Amino acid sequence: MNWELARTARGQLHDHRHAGHAHSWPIVISRREFVRTATGAAAAGLALGAGVWTPGFAGVRKNGEKENEEKSIAPVPIPGGSPGLSPFHVFGPTPDGSFDPIDAEPITITDFNGFVGLAYIDGTVQRTNKHTGEVRTLPMIGSDMRFMAGIYRGVDGRIHEGAFALV
Amino acid sequence: MDVYEPSSGAQIHDLNPSDYHPTGLFWTIAIPEEGIQVNFGEGYASVRARNVPIFDYGTFDNAAFGGAPRTPGVVSYRVVWSGINHRVNIRNTDPVFGGFAGTFVRNSAQMEWTAVTDDYIFVSAPLATTKSEFAELGRERNGFFFPQDARWE
Repeated sequence: MNWELARTARGQLHDHRHAGHAHSWPIVISRREFVRTATGAAAAGLALGAGVWTPGFAGVRKNGEKENEEKSIAPVPIPGGSPGLSPFHVFGPTPDGSFDPIDAEPITITDFNGFVGLAYIDGTVQRTNKHTGEVRTLPMIGSDMRFMAGIYRGVDGRIHEGAFALV
Repeated sequence: MDVYEPSSGAQIHDLNPSDYHPTGLFWTIAIPEEGIQVNFGEGYASVRARNVPIFDYGTFDNAAFGGAPRTPGVVSYRVVWSGINHRVNIRNTDPVFGGFAGTFVRNSAQMEWTAVTDDYIFVSAPLATTKSEFAELGRERNGFFFPQDARWE
């Protein structure tokens, strides 16, 4: 996530609210997302009740070979979030404090004890259009990459060991 | 990953795993622990993940607010943190931004990645060509592991 864009989005969120046509976040993030989340939650109620969290591992493969069959217990999101982007449970610490203070919480899960990393990274990427074969070199700016590795208390109330990433 | 059109400066790709999990986790996924190496004393960490399911939302606005199509794909990446610019000890009890304590190293990070979506193949420039605007490594505890009580300190 590029926090310059997030700053713009924060303004848009305020605009939406002030315009009076977006009264709750689920509507703001789109009806499609809301319906899909609600439907998914209902359909997966049994699994969620058991505290089994599968989406994060759904397609992650170890060593590029075999589907990872492990199940991870979902962590609990941090209770707060960047002012203006609530209820997104994330902060954007920035050196100049222009978004959130540099000492703001850098991770997205709570009840956690372990190693963490955060980086906003710039570079370039070569993009190939699969349909036309066109190749372009494009800038990548401010990609927000984070990790959390340690022990955490999951949604089941128990302590687990695990690793997570914000991509 | 945030990719831009050079001529206009407009964002044209926003690759992230956002699926708004019912617990409210923000763009956070589980990754294999085997892909993570940390030498905190040296300010070093390496995180590698493969075939992480993502969507290309095109823009941050679409990722955050929806309203436009998204394209499924997978991304593989490696991020390396290195160096020690300075160390800081943080015990942040601020009601908005805090609720955690830890030791942090402010340093640099680099990344290389590839991604495949329905429409595009992405191959980043080598890790050594990238740079970080801001990077930090830390050892922290929060929530249940951070009772905001001085007796723990």
